[in-house]
Parts: sequence; structure tokens; C-alpha cells
Amino acid sequence: MNKLTTLSLAFSSSIILLASCSKNNNTPTPVTSKLTTKTVADLDGSAGTVYYSLATGAQITGADTATNKWDIKFKSTSIFVNSGTSGTGTTQAQVVSSSFETLLTAPADGYKADATGANAITGWYTYTATTEPQHAILTVPGKILVIKTSTGSYAKVEILSYYKGNPNTTTATFADLTTRPASKFYTFRFAYQGDGTTSFK
Amino acid sequence: MRIYISFFLLTVFISIQSQAQKRDTLKKDTSTKQLKEVVITGTRTLKSLQQVPIPITRITAEEIKKKGLVRLNEVLSEQTGITILDDPHGQGIQIQGFDPAYTLILIDGLPLIGRTTGVFELSRITTNNIHRVEIVKGPTSSLYGSEAMAGVVNIITSEPAKGFSGGLSGRYGTNKTVDVSLNSAYKTDKFYISGFANRYSSGGYTLQPSSGIPTVSPFEGYTFNGKTAYRFDDNTSVKLSVRYYTNDQDSRFLVDTRYGAGKGTEKDFNIAPVITHRFSKKDVLVLQLYRSTYKTKSDIRYEDNGEVYDETYFNQTFNRAEIQNDYSLLDNLKITAGAGGQYETVAATRYTKQQSFTSGYGYFQADWIPVKQLDIIAGGRYDAHSVYKSQFSPKLAASYALSPKLTILGSVGKGYKAPDFRQLYLNFTNAEVGYSVFGYEEANAGIKRLQQTGQIETVLIDPSTLKRLNAESSTSFNFGFRYKPADKLYWTANVFRNNISNLIETAAIAIKTNGQSVFSYFNLNKVFTQGIETDLSYQLFKPLQIAGGIQYLEAYDQDVLNQIKAGQVFTKDPETNQTRVLKRSEYGGLLGRSKYTYNVRVNYLDEKTAINASIRAIYRGRYGYKDTDGNGIVNRDDEYTKGYVLVNASLSKLFMNDAIRVQLTAQNLLNYKDSLVILNLPGRLIYAGVAYNFGGK
Repeated sequence: MNKLTTLSLAFSSSIILLASCSKNNNTPTPVTSKLTTKTVADLDGSAGTVYYSLATGAQITGADTATNKWDIKFKSTSIFVNSGTSGTGTTQAQVVSSSFETLLTAPADGYKADATGANAITGWYTYTATTEPQHAILTVPGKILVIKTSTGSYAKVEILSYYKGNPNTTTATFADLTTRPASKFYTFRFAYQGDGTTSFK
Repeated sequence: MRIYISFFLLTVFISIQSQAQKRDTLKKDTSTKQLKEVVITGTRTLKSLQQVPIPITRITAEEIKKKGLVRLNEVLSEQTGITILDDPHGQGIQIQGFDPAYTLILIDGLPLIGRTTGVFELSRITTNNIHRVEIVKGPTSSLYGSEAMAGVVNIITSEPAKGFSGGLSGRYGTNKTVDVSLNSAYKTDKFYISGFANRYSSGGYTLQPSSGIPTVSPFEGYTFNGKTAYRFDDNTSVKLSVRYYTNDQDSRFLVDTRYGAGKGTEKDFNIAPVITHRFSKKDVLVLQLYRSTYKTKSDIRYEDNGEVYDETYFNQTFNRAEIQNDYSLLDNLKITAGAGGQYETVAATRYTKQQSFTSGYGYFQADWIPVKQLDIIAGGRYDAHSVYKSQFSPKLAASYALSPKLTILGSVGKGYKAPDFRQLYLNFTNAEVGYSVFGYEEANAGIKRLQQTGQIETVLIDPSTLKRLNAESSTSFNFGFRYKPADKLYWTANVFRNNISNLIETAAIAIKTNGQSVFSYFNLNKVFTQGIETDLSYQLFKPLQIAGGIQYLEAYDQDVLNQIKAGQVFTKDPETNQTRVLKRSEYGGLLGRSKYTYNVRVNYLDEKTAINASIRAIYRGRYGYKDTDGNGIVNRDDEYTKGYVLVNASLSKLFMNDAIRVQLTAQNLLNYKDSLVILNLPGRLIYAGVAYNFGGK
């Protein structure tokens, strides 16, 4: 029944944290498409909720967190979109089974806003409980978050790591709780389509 | 089985069989006996091992004694094509890639009950009072019904020899493990009575000494076995067997930050009267009654304040009446037909009320030898059940002797496993985490109950629309040969394929207001297993015998294979944590299946000094045991255990005209341990043993 424990722990995390820095690796984008692809390393959620704008590729802080300026926010193991019970915006999302590269078009429908007990984004990680590496949050392969932002633009996001430095989670260093990197540091890559189409080409 | 043992008492076969092993028979050269060896489990009639068209292994008491083994799990762990699984619910066996729940365990042909989540704890069975073990591979539901999907293990207890006989034996060693047996029997031409008692106890062990928590807790088990038989005349005999097993085990574990401790008891009782009557040389009728009960009780309390942490009981009964008729229609055509009725009950902490099953069955088998070299067996069994769909399990098998040295054999058959009481009637809510599990029959009432108390948030699948739970079933193919070019060499091989459908799995049917799920049981998966098994033994020179066996096994989930084909299964590159599509070649198959297993056995018997040395190495290749990249399947190297070798050895010497045996036995000589993953390997075990036997012959 480990799986059940996992699920229970996964759904019940509730620590509020605040954010600090993010590092952007700009990759050149084709001129014909307004597609921006970025990998964000170690977005720091260790102190509380951290807000992020896919449109600008930057963290959102201060009073702007109460506006439509952010698209997604991270709070411990929960990821919220800016809508419904989570924000003032109309951002919607769904989770698609695919690899990042092969998802070339955003689905036309199937998007959801956040609601109580039913966030649009779920199932992006597993909790290992007592299986080695013990008590780890590991990102699930093939879970691509497709976001339709408040401005009607589409983005695809792959969460890579919940730990600082995007570590290899198969190593002994990671398995050892005393040497495991700090958690709530989100590394993810995303592609944002600025031209309003569903294309990720 | 008892049927046939009774049959023995009546027939000329008595001469083959009744050289009961009251006296150690170490010095006997067994390699020449192969052709005369008979087996019974594959057909429910006596057949020569060379001719029977079904893959079957026969392990004699003599072999077991030479190796210094005393429990069934020890014996089976050294067999080619059999793996003892490490499972928290007990030591069960994997045959042809099937989980332990799919192998039927019999004593003298009668089923043993008392499984925990499908696992039958094999160390419950002592091998000190047995004549032989027979292992049938491939489905045998055509004769035995449910559970005989992967195969059947039949423990055939020994029959006393004439006169007064008896013996005692003991083995003591690592972890204060004691195994002591006492047996005595008296037999005349018409009557015998025999008694057997065994104590098996251990101080347990821990693989994490710093934790103060035992991996296996101390236990103390007793087996008592009594048999008596009376032959009225040449045609009619009666027999009664009684077996009782009881085991007490302490337990201690951590519950959050507190310790829970207590005692668990299990009791297993069987009684089996049988009447055998021979109408004529051609027609034998056997009426068999059987009752078996299995009870467990456990009372775990917090150590600090004595409050109850968990108090549970489980009571199961199994009752059967069966009649079988063996009729020789022609000299080369034997018909076996039987019918029976069964009544089973279970009452337990996790069930709403006492539940019961009623079932009836009939089976039929024709054994036809159209020409001397060819043996064709066709049969089938129909099971009608009060709760799940009726099952028909046919089987067709044939063997052909290409020469007196080489026999080829093939069989095709269906096997099934009925939904068990748990899958039908469980009513369980985990007190700590808060999820619930309902058996199929309980789901509707269970959901309603939870709804009335406002505990259900959303119903995912309306329980009134659930499909009736069907038995798990398989269609299997076995093809192989037995080759015995000379007395020195014996070589067998078998290729197998099992297509298994309707595997019963749990899935969520509702979400509770606490965010937890309510689960029930469904017929979901389709899996298959296939592979090849081969075993060879060779008498290198007179005292030295070498032998070895290999199994290659593949076991895959068909649905996963389809998803991989569709590019819908993913993994993460461990360096970058980026998703990529999984390749077919990366899929490691079902959990707990080793692709490669092999063993090497060497035995040295010096007849002059009556010293026997035996050493065996058993390799189990790596197997998947977890999923860390979150795709639900085994594919990455870190999701496998390491492969390992166990080396077992034994040295024994006989004294006083073979009446006394002194023995040193070692298991896991290399002291292999994997304290995090493999919990049933306690490390090196050393035992010293002595046995004394008198009378008989």
C-alpha cells in the first residue's frame, strides 16, 4: 500500500514558501515563430510560494503576485495556475502524456482552471516513501504541462527537478538524506508561443 | 494422492513403492532408478516419470537428506526453474514467472489453505516425514481446479515399512534455529499406524541491528501428523490422516515513534479419511473426505501504555467430498473420472460477516496409448461456483518415445485461479492513512455506508455497474524432452509460454472527503510469460555427480508493450532529468522476475566411508523491484536488485550400518546479504544435525 501512502502525502503537502532568484538560459528562437524556449534552473521556493510568468520568462514578486501577471506558481509539491481558486486570472492548464520535444501542438481543448481540491496540474511527481531513494519527490516522466495563459497564449512546461542543482536522483549522494540537495528548488524547461497559435514548432 | 497411496496397498505396485525410507538410504545408487520412477501429480494416476507427458520434477527424501534440508522452502529454493520470492507475506514460489498465488500446494494430493495475500508460507511444511516432492509445471486445473495455474507442488508423506520402526533427528544452528523430529510406526499386513512430531523454532534475525527491530521475529512451530490404515481384504481398505500445525511468532515494530509488540498465532488442521474399493482389476473407486481449517490471531499492543494497536483474527475452513473412479476400458485406454463438492468459509476482522463459497466439480481424463511409444492424455474439469463464473479447464498432452532414451513431450491446457475471499469480501479501511478497500461483493454496500456518513467526495465508478469479477485464467503451452542416453546422464528441457488474462488488480472507484481513494478489484491486465528451462545431471565417475540447470524467463505486461509501441511510455535521463520516449528493449518486464537463473550441484559420495559431500550454487539474476522514474514499469538500472549467488553445502557421514547420520549443513556460505532490498536472506547459516532410525525393511 506504499502507493497509497505516496498519494496521500503527495496531495496533502501544505507549507507556504516565498521565492527568490531564477536563472535563465536563453536559447535562440526561430524568427518565423514567436516560440521562446527556456530552461529555468533552481527557481527557489524554499521560503514559500514562488510565482512565474511564462510570457516574460521571469519570476513575479511583490504586489504583482495579486495580478494577472503571473501564469504558474509553485508551493511545495503543488503547482497552481492563475485562475479559479488560485488567482485572479483566467490561465488554464492540462497535463499531456508526451516527451517535451515531440509535443508540437497544444491540444485544442481539455484545459481546466484551478478549483478546490481539483487543481489543473496534478500527477507531476511521485513520493518514494520508504522505497530507495527514501522520502524523495521525483518528477514523473512524460508529464508535460500545457498552459493556456490569461492572454490566450500557449506554453508547454516540463518539470525536471524538485531539488537544488537538478541532481541525478539515482546516486548514493541523493539517496543519503544527509547529503541530498535542498528541496523546493524547481528546475523546469518550457516553450512559450507568443503568436497566439497552438504550435510549438 | 491418498487415493493412490491406498491404491498402492491393494495392488502389485506395492513392490515398487513400499521400500519406505525409514532407514537412511544414502548408499543406494539412485541414478539407475530413473526409468522405474513413478509420479502421480500430473495425471492423478501413477505414471512412469519417463513417459508422463507433462513437465514434472521428482525430489526424493534421500536427496533432501543428503543436502541437510528440513523445510519445504529450503528444498524448493534449489530447484531449477523455481524461485523463492522475498515477500513480506512469506516465502512463496515463482514457477514459470507466476506469483506464488498461482501454484497449488498439496499434501498427499489434498490442497493446503492459509495464504496471506496469495502467498503460502512454505516453511510451514516440514520435509522430515516425506517420501518425495513432485513438482508439476504448467496448468493442472484440468484435475485440481483453481490455483493450479503455474503448477502444483505435491508433498507425498512417507508410508511406514513393515514391523516396528521409528527415528529421531535434530538440527541446530545459526539464529538458535532448531528443527527436531520424532517418528514412530507399526505396520502389519493389514494395518499400520504412524505418528510424527516436529518442532521448528528460531530466534529470528535482524538485517538492521541498530534499529532494534527484527527482520524475522522469533517463532516456535510444531507439526503433528498421524496416519492409520486398515485393509479389510484385497479389495477394500480405509485410511485416515490427521495433520496439525501451530506456530507462535513474536513481533515488534515501530509505529511512528512508538514500539508495537505482541504475539501472532497460526493454526492449521487437516483431517482426511479415505475409502478405496476395487470392484475388479480394471475398476477402482476412491471416496475421499477432507476438512482443513486455518486460523490466525494476532494481538499487537503499544509497548509504552499497553493500548491495543492492532487485534485481528482470520478463520478459514475448507471441506470437500470427492469420489474418483479409475477404469481400464481397454488395455491401452485408462479412464479417470471424478466429482466432488466443496464448502468453504471465512470469517475475519476485515470481513463484514462470515462468508462462504459452495462449489461443485467434475473431471475426466483419458490416458490412451495407441502405440507403445505414444501416450496421449486428454482431460478436463468443470467447476461450478456459487459466486463467480463457472470454469472449464481442458488439457491435452502427449509424449512420444523417439527411442528408449529420448522422449519428447508437449501439452496445452487452461488454468485458472478463482477470485479469493479477499477480492470478493474485503471490507478494510486503513486507520492511519484513511483509504478503503472493498471486495467486489462489498463495494456497493461499502460505498453506500460511506456516503451515508458523508465520507465520499466523488464516485468515480458506480459500484452497481461493476462487472462481475471473473476468475483469472491462462492458456499455456509446454514442449520439451527427456533424454537418458545412459544411466550416467539425464537431461531434460522445456519451453513454455503462458498467456494470462483477467488478472485481478485494484483500482479506485471513489474519492473520499479526506482525499484518499476507495479501491475495489477488477479484471484488468493481460500478461504473458515465456521461457526455457533445462536441467542436466551427469555421473562423472563413480562417487562424483555433477548437475546443473538454467531457466531463461521473460514476463511482460501486454498493455505496457502496446503503450511502448504507441510511444506512450517515458523515462527520464538521470543526468538531465529530461523526458524521453522509452524503447522496447529497455522494458524490464514484471517485477520480481529474473531473466536468468541457474544452479550448479556437485555431489560426492564415498561408499567405503559412507561420507557424502554436497555443494550447490544457486544464481538468481537481477530482477526489477521498484519504479523510481515514475513511469510505473521497470526500465532503469537502479530499479533492479543485483544478481546474487547462494552457495549451500552439506557434509554427512553414516554410522552403525546406516542407522545414524551425522551432518554439517551450511546455507548461504558466501554470506550474501542485501539488507535494504532482500529481506529473506539472513546471511550465512550453519547447522549441525544428527539422525537415528531403526526398524523397517
